[in-house]
Amino acid sequence: MNILGVPNYPQMPSVKEKLLQHQNRIRTIRDFFYSHSIVEVITPSLLISPTTDVYIDSIEVSVNHALLKSSNFYLHTSPELEMKRLLAKGSGDIFQICQVFRDNEHGSINSNEFTMLEFYRLGIDMHQLIEEIQELLIALGKNDIVKKISYAQAFFDYAEIDILNSNFEDLKNILKSHGLSADYDWIEDMQMVLFVHLIEPKIKTFPVCFIYDFPKQQAALAKIDGLVAHRFEMYINGTEIANGYQEIETANEYRDRFETELDKRKSLSKSIGSIDEVFLADLKDGLPPCSGVAIGIERLFNSLSL
Amino acid sequence: MNYSTSQFKNGLKLMLDGNPCSIVNNEIVKPGKGQAFNRVKFKDLITGKTLEKTFKSGESLEAADVMELEMQYLYSDGEKWHFMDPESYEQFDLGRESMGNALNYLVEQDKCIVTLWNNNPISVSPPNHVTLEVIDTDPGLKGDTAGTGGKPATLNTGVVVQVPLFVAIGDKVKVDTRTNEYTGRA
Repeated sequence: MNILGVPNYPQMPSVKEKLLQHQNRIRTIRDFFYSHSIVEVITPSLLISPTTDVYIDSIEVSVNHALLKSSNFYLHTSPELEMKRLLAKGSGDIFQICQVFRDNEHGSINSNEFTMLEFYRLGIDMHQLIEEIQELLIALGKNDIVKKISYAQAFFDYAEIDILNSNFEDLKNILKSHGLSADYDWIEDMQMVLFVHLIEPKIKTFPVCFIYDFPKQQAALAKIDGLVAHRFEMYINGTEIANGYQEIETANEYRDRFETELDKRKSLSKSIGSIDEVFLADLKDGLPPCSGVAIGIERLFNSLSL
Repeated sequence: MNYSTSQFKNGLKLMLDGNPCSIVNNEIVKPGKGQAFNRVKFKDLITGKTLEKTFKSGESLEAADVMELEMQYLYSDGEKWHFMDPESYEQFDLGRESMGNALNYLVEQDKCIVTLWNNNPISVSPPNHVTLEVIDTDPGLKGDTAGTGGKPATLNTGVVVQVPLFVAIGDKVKVDTRTNEYTGRA
């Protein structure tokens, strides 16, 4: 108790201390990129087209009603496409820290709004990008030992499953053998449930774990090479923190990936929007070869020591 | 009646692989590029084993008709252990395999929690603390009242508990049934 009879809680940081700590961490991130001559950008968060991702839902907003010019926009679920338009126009290396918005994501570690750090580096591959993320973690004071393992090796080591060579029927049988529902329409969804069920609990013991080379069915917007896509995720104690790609480069590849996702949304009776033709037009000469990553800032900061 | 994954919470009793189970931990995992899943830890209420299952959001499981009632332990005939619901005076019995560690702690007239599934008893939990009598232990060393060290003592239910050296045959002692530890003289 202090002199006013109010209990002291020496362990509880004040609001101001927390804000300053957050500011310092954001400053560390900005300094990291500035010192690497990576340019900070701000891109629009009101977009004409919703995301095509099958399992990400854009939040729709209606504007200009009182002006009798009402139109609908979608809050960005990530700044990815707007940043890639800049890359296609010759921006060079860029980064952005922004709020992003996702419908139907709400829970203890999910939120309809969260802060994302996204950055793109020209002329480097997935493995070099992972090294740069490790440097950023060290800059933030996270000096833990880093585990790096391919998706396939993780399945071999932790579940004795040859995930890349298991077909649709094989995976159904594996799910049944674990007493799980095998009622899935796509092989990638079965890979994911097995990852959540068998692999994530095992990698919880690693303070930092990079999983790379996802099965090609989970390529998202990453380059495919044989059975795998050069996509990676970073897990901190088993929680997904970051998702990165060695990026596909041509407008045609993007159109194919978008259409595949939209077809899946259709078959799930989910809302679908039009493909962002302006984006594809901006990509007529393609993206420069690059790798990029999105990092969830709240989850990352929560994992840092005080 | 079915419960969907969105209704899952700790303590919910559900049917899994034909056995009644209780949710111990329910974790919602939404991969950035995937659908949401519930990674759930269950305790099988019959075998006591822990199970882990992962469901996609929207899956549902049948509710288990499970009730936990406070009952009085009446007696054992060596094959069955008999209990009574003091409200309805209804009697229930369990076999040795369903008694679990309650065997070590229950004496006649004790209160305990009996779990019923479809109105059949499947398990019994002793109170967290019970008072039992020491029926056998080595005599303590004279002068050692500090109680350091300790020695095994057999209690009137047959269970063996580490007790301080000063505890003697005929003493009543309190035992924590969750840890099988002596917590004091009664």
